[in-house]
Amino acid sequence: MKFLAVVRQVPDGESRLRIEGGRVDLSGATMILDQMDEWAVEEVIRLQEKHGGESVVVALGPERAEEALRTALAMGIDRAVHLVAEGYIDPITQAELLAEVVRAEAPALVFTGGQQADWDAQALGPALAEALGWPVVSWTTQIELEGETHAKAKHDLDEGAEVVRVALPAVFTSQQGLNEPRYPTLPGIMKAKRKELKKLPVTAQSRVEILEQSIQERTRLNKLIDGKDPVAAAHELVRLLHEEAKVI
Amino acid sequence: MILVVLEHDGARLRKGALEAISRARQLAMGPIAGVVIGENTQAVAQEAAQYVPVVYAAEVGPYTAEKWAEAAYAAVEKSGARVVVATASRQSRTWTARLAYRMKAGLLEDTLESRAEGEQILATRYSFLNRVTERQRASLPVVLTAKPNTTPPAEPAGSGAVEPLEVRLPTGVEVLERLGEQRKGVSLTEAAVVVTGGRGLGSAEAFAGVEELARTLGAAVGATRAVVDAGWRPYSEQVGQTGKTVQPNLYIALAVSGAVQHQAGMNKSRYVVAVNKDAEAPIFKIADYGIVGDVHQVLPALIEAAKKLKD
Ligand SMILES: Cc1cc2nc3c(=O)[nH]c(=O)nc-3n(C[C@H](O)[C@H](O)[C@H](O)COP(=O)(O)OP(=O)(O)OC[C@H]3O[C@@H](n4cnc5c(N)ncnc54)[C@H](O)[C@@H]3O)c2cc1C
Repeated sequence: MKFLAVVRQVPDGESRLRIEGGRVDLSGATMILDQMDEWAVEEVIRLQEKHGGESVVVALGPERAEEALRTALAMGIDRAVHLVAEGYIDPITQAELLAEVVRAEAPALVFTGGQQADWDAQALGPALAEALGWPVVSWTTQIELEGETHAKAKHDLDEGAEVVRVALPAVFTSQQGLNEPRYPTLPGIMKAKRKELKKLPVTAQSRVEILEQSIQERTRLNKLIDGKDPVAAAHELVRLLHEEAKVI
Repeated sequence: MILVVLEHDGARLRKGALEAISRARQLAMGPIAGVVIGENTQAVAQEAAQYVPVVYAAEVGPYTAEKWAEAAYAAVEKSGARVVVATASRQSRTWTARLAYRMKAGLLEDTLESRAEGEQILATRYSFLNRVTERQRASLPVVLTAKPNTTPPAEPAGSGAVEPLEVRLPTGVEVLERLGEQRKGVSLTEAAVVVTGGRGLGSAEAFAGVEELARTLGAAVGATRAVVDAGWRPYSEQVGQTGKTVQPNLYIALAVSGAVQHQAGMNKSRYVVAVNKDAEAPIFKIADYGIVGDVHQVLPALIEAAKKLKD
């Protein structure tokens, strides 16, 4: 069977974001494989380890996104496809572009992250499923194949969770609890350098345009009270919340 | 024509549905139709008809994204709507993506506010783990989801008509089992005050104090991922990137380090309070008020002080 992961490269949540000309400037940020996509990659590797076959990772993004693909290859994925495109592309248009690659690869299933840590979009997985005419299971915490035609999966809803049986091929998106991603090992990193990484330049007209981005760091008061005398500190805090902030 | 997809609990419209109606009215792009999808839709559609002139009722059984997308699309075709509005619940953010793809629409996800300008819709939303605010624009057709708690709920506006809607049921996903989580007390995403406990509390038992403080303040209880992973609290209480996003007037973080993934779920709270023994903890950088001290000593004192205030 063939298993496919769709990934993005995003700034590390810890790195400083700068705004330049009304746009987020990532030139100084540390870029990583999206942590929710890491769960997707790990799951695809585990499925391959259990059921055999092949694993493929696909990314849509600028040149530097190759690093995220190499990370996935170093974790153990067999080969990579990189759709090279600059700038913001909305998830619906992303799905349109990615669907072509997925259709050509014809995997048994696609796994991607539950939410992108840069555009905070949750739409890519379900939009891709729609583009392919496949079912989607979002926020998946457990998956098990039932032969080659179905999978049983557990996934989160707004309240609680449910267990579903899904006809394959299908798209799944990841959620915490799915697995613990492995770290790329040194031999894995060396091997990843020789693995196939196919580049395909694409152009796209995004349906959604970003007009302006800004960082609204709320100015916080940062009033710290020493808690050596807990009773006095607690009273002072409650007084401030009541009289100054007026929130209790 | 604008179509509003109205979320409900099988008996009543959810608050998010009323917020979505407000959003549709704000756009002021002509008449509004509603659709109620799922189980027991007739009764809910009757309630909805107090808000919108035409409500379609699509009886399709338990939720799957495929069924919701199919039903919403049927309502789009029937009403001729070029704009669809829904609340940005997690489930909606799944099926609206399918719908937007099918409509070849621009998808404006999880928006804070939105307005129409001719044939375009402008909206604001957060991105980069809630750190950035961005303005977006899309040309019709558009599918738009409204972040909960960003819009006042709609008021009734008369009495409309209910029409059944036939939907071709898609196959592919079969629901085997629902695993419910009991919701008690104030709902986390709607609460005006949230008290969250972190791993620094040390045990599940220590959450008795968190619950007591929450009760005293009329607050909802939240938890960090470390606490949920340890099995001290249910996942439904998790705040953060992979949990819930909250934006209360007051957020109290007890023995929470304030990791970026946690911040992604709470950094837009109006006031943030932190109690932590480590003065260097990242949570203090985004706190308005804080106590540097041992939570086991500070929490009981806080409960006492809060009770005294409420008396
Ligand atoms: C992809 C991804 C998604 C994630 N999503 C989420 C999410 O949705 N929500 C979330 O919360 N996390 C999430 N995390 C995890 C996150 O990175 C942190 O690990 C987690 O938030 C830490 O929880 P904590 O602050 O309770 O625990 P810790 O980091 O262990 O912090 C405990 C704090 O308590 C303090 N403390 C200890 N003892 C005391 C005491 N006696 N008195 C006072 N203070 C004390 C310590 O100084 C410390 O600051 C995610 C991680 C990843 C990789």
